[in-house]
Parts: sequence; structure tokens; C-alpha cells
Amino acid sequence: MIQDLVLVGRDAPVWLAACVMQSALGPAGLRVSVVELPGLLGPADTYATLPALEPLHARLRIDEGRLMAATRGAFTLGRYFHDSTGQAPAFFHAYGSTGARIDNTEFLPNWIKARHFGLPVAFEDFCLTAAAARHGRMLVPDAEIERHGFTDYGYHLPAIPYGTWLKQLALRRGVSMHETRELGVLMKADAPDIAGVVLDDGRRVMGDFFIDATGVGALLLAETLGVRRDSWRDAFPADRVLVAHAPPIPSLPAYADVRAGETGWLAVHPNQACTHVIHAYSSETPEHAAIVNAGHLARLELSGTKIRGSDPGRRVVAWQRNCVGIGEAACAFDPIHGVDLQAVQLGLVHLLPLFPVDADYAVERSEYNKNLKAAFERIRDFQSAHYVLNRYGGAFWERARLSPVSRGLMRKIGVFRARGSVVHYEDESFSIDDWQALLLGHGVLPETWDPAADRISPESLKEELRRILGFIRRKVEEQRSHARYLQDACAPASQHTLNRS
Amino acid sequence: MAHTPLHIVIVGGGSAGWMCAAACAQVLNPQRYRLTLIESDDIGTVGVGEATLPALRDFNTLLRIDESQFMRETRATFKLGIEFRDWDSPGEHYVHPFGSFGQLWGGVEFQHHWMRARQRGLNPAPLEEYSCAVRACRRNAFDFPDLKAPRSTFYGYAYHFDAGLYAQFLRTWARARGVKRVEGQVVDVALNGESGNLTTLTLKSGQKIDGDFFVDASGFRSLLLGDKLGSAWEDWSHWLPCDRAWAVPCERSADFTPFTRSIAQRAGWIWRIPLQHRTGNGYVFASRFVSEDEARATLLGRLDGHALGEPRLLRFRAGRRTNAWKRNCVGIGLASGFLEPLESTSLFLIQQGVQDMLRLLPAPETCGIDERLSGEFNRLSDALYERIRDFLILHYVANRRHGEPLWDLVRNYPLPASLAHKLGLFASRGHVPYFKDGFFSRDSWLAVLFGQGLTPRAYDRLADFIPLDDLDAKLRVLHTRVATHVDGMPSHADVVARHCGEAALLRQVAMT
Repeated sequence: MIQDLVLVGRDAPVWLAACVMQSALGPAGLRVSVVELPGLLGPADTYATLPALEPLHARLRIDEGRLMAATRGAFTLGRYFHDSTGQAPAFFHAYGSTGARIDNTEFLPNWIKARHFGLPVAFEDFCLTAAAARHGRMLVPDAEIERHGFTDYGYHLPAIPYGTWLKQLALRRGVSMHETRELGVLMKADAPDIAGVVLDDGRRVMGDFFIDATGVGALLLAETLGVRRDSWRDAFPADRVLVAHAPPIPSLPAYADVRAGETGWLAVHPNQACTHVIHAYSSETPEHAAIVNAGHLARLELSGTKIRGSDPGRRVVAWQRNCVGIGEAACAFDPIHGVDLQAVQLGLVHLLPLFPVDADYAVERSEYNKNLKAAFERIRDFQSAHYVLNRYGGAFWERARLSPVSRGLMRKIGVFRARGSVVHYEDESFSIDDWQALLLGHGVLPETWDPAADRISPESLKEELRRILGFIRRKVEEQRSHARYLQDACAPASQHTLNRS
Repeated sequence: MAHTPLHIVIVGGGSAGWMCAAACAQVLNPQRYRLTLIESDDIGTVGVGEATLPALRDFNTLLRIDESQFMRETRATFKLGIEFRDWDSPGEHYVHPFGSFGQLWGGVEFQHHWMRARQRGLNPAPLEEYSCAVRACRRNAFDFPDLKAPRSTFYGYAYHFDAGLYAQFLRTWARARGVKRVEGQVVDVALNGESGNLTTLTLKSGQKIDGDFFVDASGFRSLLLGDKLGSAWEDWSHWLPCDRAWAVPCERSADFTPFTRSIAQRAGWIWRIPLQHRTGNGYVFASRFVSEDEARATLLGRLDGHALGEPRLLRFRAGRRTNAWKRNCVGIGLASGFLEPLESTSLFLIQQGVQDMLRLLPAPETCGIDERLSGEFNRLSDALYERIRDFLILHYVANRRHGEPLWDLVRNYPLPASLAHKLGLFASRGHVPYFKDGFFSRDSWLAVLFGQGLTPRAYDRLADFIPLDDLDAKLRVLHTRVATHVDGMPSHADVVARHCGEAALLRQVAMT
């Protein structure tokens, strides 16, 4: 029986992992302790999360308003991608569906058909979530909106306050903690399993099972257990990341703004306390030039600038012996689309239903490694599509277009181009809506459409499209501004209810 | 967008051909697609008493078919699951229901709570008593599912019907909507020498039919896909050795079950499918282990009513074509593969094939071929076939029928790695697979894994969050709720009579 779980790591990932393991398996008698290493993140770092984080928070009974008040973060309805090189049209990747079913057929085939007949309205203009974001609004679904389609949101969470918040939560819930600057590892005498870790003061923390959330270096999984890495270096043109912060933006947008420049891209993440900026580029650009480029692209006064490497790749197994790597210890991603916490979350939600019930867990481990490999590769493909399909100007983007593409992604792009149908594999983190936004946004216009849309007459199609645009206009008008929504959400609970009613 | 319509030619008029024709007629725009179905009255169809899966209701809904009319014309009855008798070992039986066992508590699947209760000595009722569908089967009861009922009392339903009558029903339906039917036997198939695409079919009468796109619904013969285009056959008979079936109807008996029955035999299994007017029976067997004559005698000896006619012999082989869509031709139904009807998947495979084909059908502008689309169709078809295959093999390997050659053979043959892995996960902790694509659902796996006598070593520790006293109380409440729900159901016979018998017909006449 596994009694003692030891998590070794730093920053928000180790604390998110601790909260999840404690709340799910604490009742089963699992004792959870964290060995915390010094953090690597700074005030310029922020997590731009996907919508999936909210339900995980809810399972942890995290109060969203209090979290937003404490971290001074913000809500986000998606990402607006545009081009400062002037080559490619802009597009919005919103966390919501686009259009509505027409005469019981999907929206996309109808739009493709209309497009082939000369419809001048872009796909994303039929997306309520995107429209709300672009008008500076947050989107709160009512019954009418829920009938119309699907909408969701993510967060911008400043990394340091978010980590601190999770740490306090974990400690309140009964997780024990040890801090150390250095880490030694003890192996079992009778098996190549980890027995415990040694802290810098010589104390030992022994465990039956270990989680490695130490980051890309993977101190347990790689350094100790020797798990190799499958590098994705070739698939991504950026190997440097610059982060910085700037003063807050006055009328706080509810989305991230991602700008392509000739030497890379820059994303602006609005938050309450400040604006977080991230710039990904290739080391062919010297550091001082990258700092200048970031300033130009951001058009903001940047401070606290930090630069580090970016080296995407996946450990060939995330679970080896009695140790599971979580987050970057298992897989490091390119910074586009901000998937870091999604990777942490995937590692945890797949682990819970496979967490060992006794000492014989070979079959669970093989299932876990199979699932995680698929899930990580699906995310990589989504990011990879952003690079290989780009139409931006400059050598950085030209090289990106020539990056290797997995067979799964090749098929996906091929089928979408042929029919406008998204091949949605198992273990996808990104939804069909996400893929549609991405592929259409990068100019993959399907050549044909699902024949089910053929029966609708051009007149009724036109009528329906008009109706949807009208609905979106009306609903956007009804929404509060993001700033106002945040103010209401962060207000103390009693007032909170009042404001919502 | 005026373009010559794409001409789709369907070869074969059994359930596969007519289900395909009907769905095409419903979904496609006649100005863009033209439909012809070729069938011969001289060629028999395999169609016997057919048991289906709940998905068939979606198909009928797509066609906007009136349920009571459809049931009357196909002599249909309701189906809540399949009862497996003697599969684990003689005397044992279980039901694979179209419905859930219990409910999730705290996001944790029910079997873990139930196993925990057992291991901690709470003495819960047998698992099947937490399933409405199983309890209804035990009482020969049926009622339409209440969509507003809590998840713990959820179930779906399917039908038993006469597959020949269903094909006729759809034929009438499709012809009324513009599908052209040509009577005749295909004697020659011509290819375009350059592209390798099918172009023209020649009938026995000498009539020639040109097409842009072809659906091979010719059954085991696989005239176009197998014979002409040479789509390779992947043989699965080492895992599923049954290769024959005797089929014979008998008089309806008093035992009017809302479920299919499957009874394990020394060399295969016997099906029993209740219809309104008679009962369909068949013995699926491996000819290596029993002679045709002996199998015939066994079947006739097991009927619970007078046989209506002579038994018919069917021959088949488990496996599938590796490319179900090749060039400008899609195989639907038996032309693309065969899996024994142990889990009533025949019509489901047809339906799924038709629906995927419709979504990926070439546009009239692209002259019938696009390998990106056919590749996707084949990917989906592979996943579906392989997952159903694994589920079928499960029945033959998880059991205690030792010393019987058929059963020993399959049990000792190396399993597909995908199935061995699933069995390992269940044995370790009651973990049940879940798929986005393909079949079967979690509850189905659960029913069969437990039903065939497997017991996991442990339950998932996530279930420990409920205090034992609370768990005991929750199980009791649930047990009562399920029992009460089922106790209120009318008998299957009454519902069938009311919903689609003559009384229903008269009611409709009175209303018009």
C-alpha cells in the first residue's frame, strides 16, 4: 500500500499537484508532502491558461473571485493573432463555438459553402465569444446564449501570486512542506526505485511514491532515473523567451494579443496589477536586439526583462519506476498558446484514476505513459500547426513554415483542406472549435463542405447568417465590460451575489 | 454552382444497400447527387431476425421514421440488452444492458464504490440490481426511458426486427424519395485503365450502368471492393473461429423477452430473438468443432416453439477489408467485413459506415476521388472494427469453459495487445476503457467483464472519500430507487401491443 507521497518541485506546478493529490487521495489515507526548491519564475511571468483550468479549480473548491482578487489576474476569452509584418490577415482564437446549427446541420459547412458563393464575412465574425472580447466585454452566458452555442474562458494568472495562493491552500488542507535549496536522492536497497530525498540540512524525506515537478531538468525522472528526452527542437523556430512587465492597460481587454514580428512573436497578457509580455524568438537574434524588438512590438514601457531558453521536448515516459514527472519535468512546450498549466493538469487528471492501489502497478504505468504521450503530442501538433501554416513575413517565419510535421497533423490539415472536417483524435486538449479557429485563421480554406449543407437554399442560408450576426450584436451590447466584471467578481462574497443578481 | 450531379451507384439491396440508399436520399441534394440501387430478386439476402443497438434509433430519427409504423411493419419488439447464458460456465448468466450501473459519486465510477462496499463487508446487492435495464429484463418489463429521470435510472433501448422487412420498409421509403431501383445481376465491372477507378457495371440483361461513385453492398461476395479492386482481406478467424450459422424461426412463445438471448454451446452459441409474430433462432458455430448436421440438430432441439420452415445455413469468416474505401468505391456492411452478431453490431457497422461516408463523400466537382477523405474514412472504420473485435474476443477468453476445444483454442491464442492491456487494467483495479471513437461504452465493458466472472484485485482509492456508513445508506437508497422504478413498468408484451399492434393502428385510423 502506498502511504507516503512526496512531491519535489517548485512554483505553481508543484503546489497545484499537491492540492489535487491531497484533495483526491487524502481521504484514502495518503500522506502528501512537498519538498520545495527555489522558484525559477519571477514577477514578469504569467500563466495564460486554457478554459480547462476552471473546472479543476472548482473540484478543489477554489473561490474564483478570491483567487482573482489575490492574484490580481484577469479573465481571457481567447487570443487575437495579428501580423505586424503586414502579410497575413488577423484572426481571433476564441474559447467558444462559432455560429449555430442551421436546419440541423453544423455551422462550418454552411459558412464554407457561403464563402464559396462569395460571402464577405469572416468565420470569426460569427463567434459570439470573439465578438464580446473584441468589444472589451466579458461574456456571461444566459439561457439564450447557451441555446445558441458554447462559450468558455481562461485566466491570466501572475505566476508568483498564483503559486503562493496554491501553496497556502495546500498547507491549509494538510499538505506538509520542507524547503531546500539542494536535493540529494536515496535509492532503495533492493530495487532501482527512489526511497527518499535528502534536504540541504541533511534531513531525509522518505516516501513510497514520488512526483517530480522540478521543471525541464527533471531532477528525479531524468537526473536520477535516467529517462531520456525526445526533443521537439526542430519543430519550433523559437529557442529564446523574453518576459517583461508593463503598466496595466486602462480598459482591460479580456484576451491575449499575439503579434507576429519578423524575428518572432510577442504576446501581451493584460492583468489588473500590470501587463505581462512574452516574446519568443530565435537565438540568431542577439539579446540586445531582442529587447529592442520586444519594445517595438509591445508598444509599452517594459521593465523587469528576463531572458531564458526554450527547449520543447517530451520525456519518453512520464512515469518511471515509482516516480511521475508532472509539467515540464514530463514535457516542455513552446510558449505559444500558453499550455504549461494544461500540461500539469493533464499529468494529474490522468494520474488520479491510475494512482497505484498496491505495489504492482506495471499496467497502470503503461496506460499512463500511453495516454500522456498521446495527449502531449496532440498539444504539440496544435502549436506546430500555428508555425507551419503561418503566412507571416521574415526569416523566422519562413523557417517555421519548413518545420517537420507529424503524420497526425498532416492528416488533420489534409482532411480539413479537403472537407472542412476536423479530425479530432482521442486525448485532444484543444476542441474542434479551437482547431477550426486555428486552421481557418491561418488561411486553410476548405475546398468542399459536408454535403448535408447542400439542401439548404441560398435564401434561407443568407437569412440564418443575418440572424446570427444580429444575435451576436445584441448579446455583446448586453455584456459588462471586462473591467467591471472583474471588479464585481473580486468583490467580497456578499456583495458579489448582489452584483450578479 | 451548376455541375452535373455525381452519380452514386449502390450494388446490393439487403439492409446495407437500402440503409445506405435511404440515408443518401434523406441527406443529399438531388441536384448534386443522383442515386441508383441495383438489386437482384434472385440473390437472397442474409437478413434474419435481427437484434440491434440503441444507435439505430438515431438512424431512424435521421430519416424521420415514425416508430410505431416502423415497428408494425418490421414486426419489431423492444430490446434492453442481451442475456448471456452459460458463457462463464454452465448455469451462470448475466445481462449486458443498454444502460448504466448505479451512478458516479464524486466523479468516481460506480463499480469502485460497489467493490469497496463488498471488500469492507457492507454486503451490497449484486451489481446487476443497480441497473434498471437489467432488472427490467429480469421481469420481462419495458417502458420508454424517462429523459428527466436521474442518471441512476438511465437506460436506452433498441429493437429486434425482421431484417428482410426492414430492408423492404426502407426500399419503399427510399424509392418514394427518388432513389432509382434497377433489377438485375451485375456480371461485369469495368475500370478506367488509367485511374483505376470503377466506371461501368454490366448487368445480366446486357444493360450498362455508368457511375461516378460506387457503394459495394453486395454482401460476402464483395463484388466491387474485394473482387474487382482487390482490397486485401485481414483474417481474424484465429480469434473468432466461428464460421457457420444455422438460422430458423419458430413460433412465438410465452417468454416474450425485452432482450436478446445468447446461450453458449460447446462449439459456439445460440441466439434467440423475439419478434412480434415469431422467434428468430440461430446457432453460430465453428465447423472445425461440430459437424453441420449435429449443429442443426442441436439448434432444433433448443427451440421453445414449433420450427417455422427449414433451417438455413450461412457461411462466413471473421475479418475485414483493410481498405473499406478504395478508389471511388466504399464497402458497406458485409462487403467490408464480418464480425459475428454476438453483440448485435451488424446493422451498427452499416449505419456508422453510411454516416461517415455521407460526411466524407466527394463533391460533384471532384470526380469521385480524394484520398484525404477516403483515408479518414478508413481510419475511423479501422478503430470501429478493432474495438468491436476486442469486445467480442473478450467473451471467448474470459470464462471457465475449460476442456472444450473451441474455448480452449481461443483462450490459449495470443490476445490482441489492445485487449490484453484492457484486461490487465480491469484485473488490477476495476478500470474500464473509455473511447471517444468506436465502441463499446464503459457500462458495456463493465457488464461483460463482471458478467464473465472476472474480479478485480482492488478498487480505486479515489472512492475512499465517502464514509462507510454514508456509502451503505447511499447504496440502499439507490437500490430502492432502481427497484421502485422497475416495479412500475408494464410488461414488454403489453407495451408492444399498445405501441405498435393492431390496437395502435386502429387508434390512428380513428384519429384521421
